[in-house]
Amino acid sequence: MSRFNRQLILGIAFLVLSCAVLLLVHRRYGALSPAYPYLTGWGLFIVILFLSAYNGRKKLPFLPLGSSETWLQVHVYLGLATAVIFLFHIRFRVPTGWFEGALAWLYGLVMLSGIFGLAVTRFLPRRLTARGGEVIYEKIPGLRHDLRQQAEAIALGGEQPSTTLAEFYARRLDAFFAEPRNFVHHLAESRRPLNALVAELEDLRRYQAEKERVEQLLTLVRQKDALDYHRALQSMLKLWLFVHLPLTWSLLIFSLVHIALVYGFAGGIK
Amino acid sequence: MPPTLTTIERPERWDAAFDPEMTDAAVDRLLTLSPFREMNPEKFPKRTPLREILKHDTIIRRYRKGEIIVRQGDYGTSGFLILSGSTRVVLKPDLAPAVLGRKAPEKKGFGRTLAQLWSALRPPESFKRAQLKRDGQVGERTNEEEQVHVFLQDLPRVFNEHRTEAMTTGDFFGEIAALSRMPRTSTIFAESDEAELLEIRWQGVRDLMRHDDQLRLHINRIYRERALASYLRATPLFRQLNKEQLERVAAEVEFATFGDYDWSGDYKRLAKAGTLRPEKEPVIMQEGDYPNGVVLLRAGFGRVTRKFGTGERTLNYAGAGQVLGLREIAHNWRKPQQPVNLQHSLRAIGYTHLLVLPTRVMEQIVLPSVPENDLPDLFAPEESGGSLEIQEQPGAAPVRGDILEFLTENRFFNGTATMVIDLDRCTRCDDCVRACAATHDNNPRFLRHGPAHGRLMIANACMHCADPVCMIGCPTGAIHRESFEGQVVINPVTCIGCKACFLNCPYDAIRMVDIRDEKGQFMLGEDLKPISKATKCDLCVENHGGPACERACPHGALERMNLNDLAAMATWLKR
Repeated sequence: MSRFNRQLILGIAFLVLSCAVLLLVHRRYGALSPAYPYLTGWGLFIVILFLSAYNGRKKLPFLPLGSSETWLQVHVYLGLATAVIFLFHIRFRVPTGWFEGALAWLYGLVMLSGIFGLAVTRFLPRRLTARGGEVIYEKIPGLRHDLRQQAEAIALGGEQPSTTLAEFYARRLDAFFAEPRNFVHHLAESRRPLNALVAELEDLRRYQAEKERVEQLLTLVRQKDALDYHRALQSMLKLWLFVHLPLTWSLLIFSLVHIALVYGFAGGIK
Repeated sequence: MPPTLTTIERPERWDAAFDPEMTDAAVDRLLTLSPFREMNPEKFPKRTPLREILKHDTIIRRYRKGEIIVRQGDYGTSGFLILSGSTRVVLKPDLAPAVLGRKAPEKKGFGRTLAQLWSALRPPESFKRAQLKRDGQVGERTNEEEQVHVFLQDLPRVFNEHRTEAMTTGDFFGEIAALSRMPRTSTIFAESDEAELLEIRWQGVRDLMRHDDQLRLHINRIYRERALASYLRATPLFRQLNKEQLERVAAEVEFATFGDYDWSGDYKRLAKAGTLRPEKEPVIMQEGDYPNGVVLLRAGFGRVTRKFGTGERTLNYAGAGQVLGLREIAHNWRKPQQPVNLQHSLRAIGYTHLLVLPTRVMEQIVLPSVPENDLPDLFAPEESGGSLEIQEQPGAAPVRGDILEFLTENRFFNGTATMVIDLDRCTRCDDCVRACAATHDNNPRFLRHGPAHGRLMIANACMHCADPVCMIGCPTGAIHRESFEGQVVINPVTCIGCKACFLNCPYDAIRMVDIRDEKGQFMLGEDLKPISKATKCDLCVENHGGPACERACPHGALERMNLNDLAAMATWLKR
C-alpha cells in the first residue's frame, strides 16, 4: 500500500473510531451529568490549543518535534473530529446569545477555511505542475517587468515602427503586461481571456506587414499569461492561510473570554 | 597551380599548462633527477614527449617546516614527488579535525538548540570575532606565489602524540588518490624547512605511467599492496576465495580509467550547449562484444545502455562498487554450448576508474568458488534476443526511462542526499526554505528551484555527492567530509573565500556570502574588501532529527534521497 493511501486510511479510521468513542460517551453521560458541558468545553479548548500548536511547530524547525507532515495529518483528522465535540458541546442547538453565536461562527469559519485550504493544497499543485514553467513566486514581478519591456520594444521599437501594432499595444497590451490579470479565470482554469487576446493579435496579421513581430508578441502574451496563472494559483495557496490563521487566533481569544464568562456567571460545577 | 592551403595551430592537450611559469632550465634540472633521468625519452610518443609532460603537467612547490602538503580525506587531482628535503606522513592516530582545518563533528547541545529561538533577530551569516578564531594548533600563511599554506604550529606535539614516518627525496605519494579519484588516505607535511616537491597533475601521472615501465610497475605495485587487496577482500564476489587465490586474482587485475577527470567543467559547458549525448561518451563495454572480463567500478559512474534504433537508450547507471559483465561470463561458463555476448554497453559518464578481471581468471579461480545459489541467473532465450520491453530488460532501472534520462543527463546520480521535490504535492509554501534559514544563521542554504522533469524537481541544494568535485583544490581543507556520515560540510572558520569549491560545483549548490558582524555590518579585510565565505547545505549535521527542510515539509513533497538507489526513488514516486 502506498504511503499516502496508508495515511488516508489511518486518518479515516482514526476519525471513525474517535467519533464512535465520543458518541458512546455522549450517550452515556450527555443527558445525566451536569459537568458534561464543562467536559466537552474543556476538551474542545484543549484540542483547539493543540491544533494551534502546529503553527508553533513550524516556527521551531530546529527542535526535534517530529515531522511537519505528521503534524499536518494529526491536525487535519483531529480538526475534523472537533466538529463532533463541538456539536455535543452546543447540544445540537444553534447558540442564541450574540457572543456564543459569534463564537460558533468563528469555529465554523475556522473549520471551513481549513477544509478549503486542504482542498486547495491537494489540487492546485497538480495544476501548476501540469501547466509547467515553474517559477518562484517572489520572482514573478521581475519577470513580468522583463516581459513588458520586451513587448514594448517589439511593439513600439524597430527601424520601421508600425502604427497598427503601437496602437494595439497602447489599447490592449499595455494594461495586460502592466499588472497581473485574469485572477479568477486562472483559478477557474478558463482560457477565455487569453484566447480572446490571442485572436485579436492573430487578427492583426491581416493588416500587419511584419508578421514576425506579431508572432513574437504572441509568444510574450502566452508567457505573461503563464506567469499570471502561476501567480493566481500560488497566491491562492498562500492566501487561505491568511484567513485561517487570524480566524484561529480570534477563536482562541473568544474561547478564553467564553471560559471566563462561564465560570464568572455559572458559579462553577454544580 | 596547387591550391593554397589554410593552416591553423592545432589545439593541443597542453594549451593550459599546470604552471605557466615553468622554465626550460627547471625542466633540464628535473631531467637530471631520479626517476626522470632513468626514463627513456625514446619510449614517449612524439605528441607527448617526456620533456613536454614535465614542462606542462608539473609544478615545483616549496614548503616550509610544518606546512601540510596533502590532508587526509581531501580529494586531490595530483601526485607528488619529493625533489629535496623531507616530509612526514602521519600514520596513527589521525590528526584531529581541527588541526586539518575542519570542524569536529558535534551535535548542538540543549542550550545551543534553544538559543536558535533568538537567531531570527540576528543579521544573516553574522559572526562574533571569537567565533572566527582559528585553532591554536594550526596556522596559515601565504607564500611568495600567493598560495595559501596551512601549517602545524606545534610540531613536537605532533611527533609526541602521533606515529609518523619519514619520506625523503625520490619518494612518490598521492598518485593513487589522484588516479582513482579516492580521498587521500593520510596527511603528509613538510619536515624540513625547504622541502621541494614536484606536483604532477593526474594527466601527467597517467602519461608517465603509460610510457615508463618502471613507474607503472612501481605505482601498480603500490596500488595492489595498499588499495587493491583490501578492496577485493570487501567485495562479495571474492568472499569465498582463500588468501592464495585472492593474491592470484589481485595479480591479474587490470586497472583502467575512462573519460575526463575534470568532467565537472566540461559538463557545465556541454550542458549549456545542449550537446550531451550518450553516443559521445567513452565506451567501456560494447553491447554484442565477447565478454572478455568482469568490470568492477571503483570510482566514478557509468551509463548502462542498449541499442535503440540508431541511438542508445539508457537502462540504468552504475556507481562505485557495481559489477558488470558477470552475468554473461557466468552464463557462458555454465552453458558453453549456448554462449551470449555482452547484453549492454557501459559508457563512462564524466570520469570512471575501474578494475577488469579477465574472463580466464574468473572461470579458473572466481566462479568455481561461488556457491551455485549466489551465481547470477542464466539468460533466457527471449532476454538475449532483445524482444523484451525496455523496462523488463535485465539490468534496467526501476524508474521510467524518461526519468532515468533526466537524472543521467543532469548527472544527478552523483547525489547521496539530493533534494527531490514532488511538484504534484509541493504547495510552494517555502516552509522548507524558512526552516533552513532558521537553522542556518538566517541564510537559507538552498534555492527551492532547479531542473524539473514532469512532477520531479531537483532543487539547487548540495547533494553531498559520491564524487565531490567541490572538494578538489580547497587550500585550507575547509570543505570536507564529515567523518561519521560523510556529509560534505564547510568550516566557516577556515574558509578563506577563494571560491574554489563554488566554481567547481557542477550543480551550482554553493553560494558565496559576505559575512557580517553582530551589528549587521559587513566584515571587511585589511584591504577593506568584504570577507566572503562559501555556504551550502550541511544536511543539518549539527541539529537533532535530520535535515530541517525535509522535516518541515507538511505535504511529504520533499525528500533527501540517494539517487544511487533508484529502487528507493521508485517507491517514493509510487507512494
